[in-house]
Amino acid sequence: MTQPAGVEFHNVVKRYGDVAAVTGVSFRVDAGTLVTLLGPSGCGKTTTLRMIAGLELASEGRIEIAGRDVTAVGATQRDVSMVFQSYALFPHMSVLENVCYGLRRSGIAREEAGRRAREGLAQVGLAGYEERQPSELSGGQQQRVAVARALVLRPSVLLFDEPLSNLDARLRRQMRQEIRTLQQSLGLTVVYVTHDQQEAMAVSDRIIVMNKGAIEQDGTPRDLYERPATPFLARFMGESNPATGIARPLGNGRIAVRLGEAEIAVASPRVVSGSVTVAIRPETVRVESRVPNSGGLTGRVEAASYVGTHMEYGIATTVGSLFVVCPRVERPLPVGHEVDLLLEPRGVILVDG
Amino acid sequence: MTRAGERGAALAWPALGLAACVLLPWYALQDGLGSLGWARELWNSEESGAAFALGLSLGRWWLLPTIACLFAAAITALLPLPRARRGTLLALCGAAGIACFVAQALGIGLRGWTADWLTGLFGELDGRQFGIGAGGAVAGIACVGIVASGLALRGAFGGDAFVAGAVAAVIASIVLFTAWPILRILVQAFQNGDGAFVPSLLLERLSAPKIWTLRCLLGGGRCGVAWNTLFLAVCCGVGTTALGLAFALIATRTGFRYKRTLRVLTVLPIITPPFVIGLALILVFGRSGLVNQFLEWAFAVPPTRWIYGFQGVFLAQLFAFTPVAFLVLIGVVEGVSPTLEEASQTLRADRWATFTTVSLPLMKPGLANAFLVGFIESIADFGNPIVLGGDYRVLSTEIYFAVVGAQLDYGRAAALGLLLLAFALGAFFLQRRIVGTGSYATISGKGDAGLPTPLPAAARRVAMAVALPWAAITALLYGFAFLGGVVKVWGRDYTLTLEHYVKAFAVEHGANGLIWSGAAWHSFWTTVKLAAVAAPLTALLGLLAAWLLVRQRFAGRAALEFATMLSFAVPGTVIGVAYVFAFNVPPLEITGSALIIVLCFIFRNMPVGVRAGMAAMSQIDRSLDEASATLRGRAPQTLAFVVLPLLRPAIVGSLIYGFVRAVTTVSAVVFLVTAEYELATTYIILRVINGDYGLAVAYSCALIALMLVAILAIQLAVGDRRLGRRAGPTQGARA
Repeated sequence: MTQPAGVEFHNVVKRYGDVAAVTGVSFRVDAGTLVTLLGPSGCGKTTTLRMIAGLELASEGRIEIAGRDVTAVGATQRDVSMVFQSYALFPHMSVLENVCYGLRRSGIAREEAGRRAREGLAQVGLAGYEERQPSELSGGQQQRVAVARALVLRPSVLLFDEPLSNLDARLRRQMRQEIRTLQQSLGLTVVYVTHDQQEAMAVSDRIIVMNKGAIEQDGTPRDLYERPATPFLARFMGESNPATGIARPLGNGRIAVRLGEAEIAVASPRVVSGSVTVAIRPETVRVESRVPNSGGLTGRVEAASYVGTHMEYGIATTVGSLFVVCPRVERPLPVGHEVDLLLEPRGVILVDG
Repeated sequence: MTRAGERGAALAWPALGLAACVLLPWYALQDGLGSLGWARELWNSEESGAAFALGLSLGRWWLLPTIACLFAAAITALLPLPRARRGTLLALCGAAGIACFVAQALGIGLRGWTADWLTGLFGELDGRQFGIGAGGAVAGIACVGIVASGLALRGAFGGDAFVAGAVAAVIASIVLFTAWPILRILVQAFQNGDGAFVPSLLLERLSAPKIWTLRCLLGGGRCGVAWNTLFLAVCCGVGTTALGLAFALIATRTGFRYKRTLRVLTVLPIITPPFVIGLALILVFGRSGLVNQFLEWAFAVPPTRWIYGFQGVFLAQLFAFTPVAFLVLIGVVEGVSPTLEEASQTLRADRWATFTTVSLPLMKPGLANAFLVGFIESIADFGNPIVLGGDYRVLSTEIYFAVVGAQLDYGRAAALGLLLLAFALGAFFLQRRIVGTGSYATISGKGDAGLPTPLPAAARRVAMAVALPWAAITALLYGFAFLGGVVKVWGRDYTLTLEHYVKAFAVEHGANGLIWSGAAWHSFWTTVKLAAVAAPLTALLGLLAAWLLVRQRFAGRAALEFATMLSFAVPGTVIGVAYVFAFNVPPLEITGSALIIVLCFIFRNMPVGVRAGMAAMSQIDRSLDEASATLRGRAPQTLAFVVLPLLRPAIVGSLIYGFVRAVTTVSAVVFLVTAEYELATTYIILRVINGDYGLAVAYSCALIALMLVAILAIQLAVGDRRLGRRAGPTQGARA
C-alpha cells in the first residue's frame, strides 16, 4: 500500500508525427486532492491523463509522480491505476477475478488478493456479485467494478477517463457523488477527465481547463465560473452571452461598464477604459416588463420556451441578442413583449480587458 | 521499478551473452550438443571451444571485439547511471556488438577471408571458421537483446523491455530467415561457378533463349519457360475466376438447394496435398487411365500420353484452385449492395440489365483480385507441373532441375528464382493496388436492408451448366484418388486390396516390440514431428507479430507489416532455393538438418498467422490491454492473461493452418529434404514420378486422415473462449 502522492508536469509535449496533441503543459496535482481536466473533445485532456498513466510517453518535458521522474517509465511500473471510459472489464473473467487481477499481478497471494478484492467490492456496494460475469451486470454496476478494481491497488494516483459518459443522467449524478465521497474518505489523489462542466464543478477541488492542447486556466470551480480568464472559458464554463460595452474607471478596484442604456459597476483588478468585451451570465439577469427609467437594458422578447424548471428567453437588445434564464414560470412573457433587463454585478464578467 | 531492479534487468542480457562465451562451444558441433563430450574441450579445442578460449589462446582474435562489447554492456548495466543515459550506452554497446558479430561471421569463412578484397586489405588469414553454434547464437541473441533493453530504457516501445525484445526478435528473425535468403539469391545470380562476382552474368542468364524463345508460335519446337509460366498462369487465372464466379453466383443469388455442399468444396484444397488432383487426373486420363483404356477397348485407339503437358497442368490447377477463387468471389458477390440492385430495378432496368450494368461492374475489382490470386497460385505451384508437366517446363520445375538435376547450376537457378520472384511480386503489387484503391466499397456501416436480386434466367442457366458438372467432376476425381489406393494395379488389375496401405503402413511384432516396417513410416513420422514442432512456433511468432503490429506503436511498424505481407507473396520454390543458398555455408550452416525444414515451415506460414491474428485482435477493445497495464500487468502477463484467452479462435486457426500447411507443402521443402529427414509429400512425389501410383494415393489418403485428426485434436486442446454472454463491456445498462 502506498501513500497518495502528487503529480507534476513540466513543459510536457506530446506529438503524433507532426501533430502536437499537447503543447507544453505544466501543472501540479497536490496529494489527496481531486483535480479535473476539463475541455472540449480533442483538447488534449485524455492524452494528458494517459501520460500520467504512462500509456503514452511524453515527447518532451518531464513528468513526476511522488517527486520521482517517471517520464520514460511505462504504465506497469508507475504506481497509478485507471478507470476507463469503456470500463475495460475483462470479459472472460468473473467480477472477483477482475478485481483480483491487479493484486495478483502485484504478487499478492491468492487468498489475500481475494480478501482484499471482496473488501473493495463491498466498498463500492457490490458484495455478493463476486461470481457474476461482467456481461451480467448493469452499466452502473460495471462502473463500480471498474472503480473497485482500480481502488484495491491503493495506487498513489487514481485516474478516471470520462467514467460516467456511458450512464444515464440520474445514475451519473449518483456515481459522481460516490466517487467524490470515496476520494475524500480515503484521501486519494484523483485526476479526473470529463467534458461536462457541471460534473467537473461538482466533484473537483481544482479544475484545469484545456483547449487546443494547452492549459486555458487552472483554478477552483468558483474561480473558473466567476472569474474566467478568456472568452473561451466564459463560454465553456456555463452559458454566457458575449457583449461589447464602454468602460470607465471608478477607482477602488472597480470600473463602470455601459451596456446600451444600462451602466453597471463591476470589480476589475486592472484599470481599463474604452471598449471592452464582457460575458453576461443568463441566470443573473432579471427580466421585467418595460417601465420608464428603470436603469435596465431595454429589449424585446424574440423567443420564449418553457422547460419545466424555468423559462428560457431570447431577447433582442441594443448590444445584441441575449439568452436569459428566468425562474418565474407562472406568467411567461409573450413573444414581442417589451422588457427591461436588470443586470447584476456578479453576472457581468470582464473577459479581455 | 527501483534503480537496483532496473540495473538487474539491464544486466540480464550481457550476463547471458558472456555466459555463452564461457560455457558453450562457439561453433556448431558435428554431433550436436547432446553427447556432452564438448564440455571437456571448451578450453582447448578449435572445434568445440568457447569464445573466450578461442579468442585468447586459440588464435581467433576476431571474436574478441564482440566479447568486449558484451563486457562493456555489463559494466554499463552495473554503473550508477540515470535511466536514459544507461539506455543510450546499452543500445550503443549492443549495436557495436551486433556489428562486430556480423562482420566476423560474414568476413571469415571455412577458408579464411571470404572475399579477395579482404585478403588484399588484411593479408592472408591464419585461421578459419565453421558454422555458428550454440555459443555464437546465444551471444548474437544477447547483443540484440541488449539493444532492445537499451532502447526501452530510453523510453522507446512505451518503455517496456518485453515489447522491445519482442519487436527485436520478430525483426531479427524475419531479416535472418526471409530477407537474408532472398538477398542471397540475388547475389548468387551474379556469381559464376567459382563464386566470383560477375555483373554481366545475370543479364546473360536472364536473356537465355531457353527462357524467352517464342519458337512455339512459329511452329518450331517449344517456347521459353518464362512464356510457359505466364501463359499457364493467365489461363489458370481466367479459368478459376470464371468457374469461381459461377459457383459464387449460384451460392448467393439462386435458390439452388445444395448450396451448403458447394461450400464444402472450399475446404478440400486446404487439407489435400496440392498434387492429389494431379494424381487423380493421371488415374483418369493417364496412359493406363480409364479414358485411354476405354478408347482402346472400344475403338482400338492406342493409349496416348495426352494428359502430360500444358493441358494436364492446366486442368489440375483449374481443379485445385477454383475453390480458392470461389472463396474470394463469394465475399465479392455478397458485398454488392442489394439496395443498389433494387434501385436499378426501380429505375426501369430489368434483371438482365441490372446484372450487366450494375452488379457485374461493381464486382470488377473483386474479379481482378480473384484473377491475380489464381495467377499467383499458378506460378507458385510446383506439385502439379512436376507430376503432369512432361515436356512443358515452367519456372518452378526448371529451378528444381537446375538445383537437383544433372546441371547443378546454382547461378541459373538463382536467376530463374529472381524471375519467378519478380512475376510474383509484380502480381502481388498489382493486386494490392486493385484491392486497396480500386474497390467500390459497397459494404457500409449503414444498415443495408433489401434482398439480393436473383440472377437473370440466362445467367443462371450458364452458371449452372458450367459449375455443376465441374463440381461433379471434382468430386469424382477425389473419389478416383481414393479408389486408386485400394485397387491392385490401376489400369490392369482392379481387384480391391489393402496391399498399398500394408506396404506403406505395416506394423509387425518383432522380438523387441513393434517394428514399423511400412515403407512410409519414416517419412510419415518425420513429417508429423517436424510439423508438430513448427505449428506452435508458427502460431506463436505470427500472433506475437500481430500483437505488436496492432497494439504497439513503434518506429518502423509499417515497414514490419509490409515485410510480413511481402514474404507471403514469395513463391515456395524461391524460398526453398534461397534457403539452400543461404544456409549451406558458414556462418549459418544448417542445410541437411531438421532445423532448416522447421524454419522454412515457420517463415513460409507465419504471414497467414499474422493476418489472422491482426484481424482477431482488432476486434478486441484496446482499453483491455491498457487496463491490464495500469493494473500492474506487465506486457507478457497482459498477453498471457488477457489477450491470449480472448484470442483462442485465432490460435486454433493458426495452429491448424501451421500444421496443415507444413504437412501438405511441397515446393519449398523439396530442396531441403535429405534421406534422413524425408517428408511425406516429397516421398509421394518421388513415388508418382516412378509410376507407383497405388502407394502414392494410399499415402495421400492417410495424410488427409492425419490432418483431420490433427484439426480435431487442436480444437480440443485449445478449447473455446469463455465469455459468458458474448457482450462487450461497453454495451451500457442491461440489468
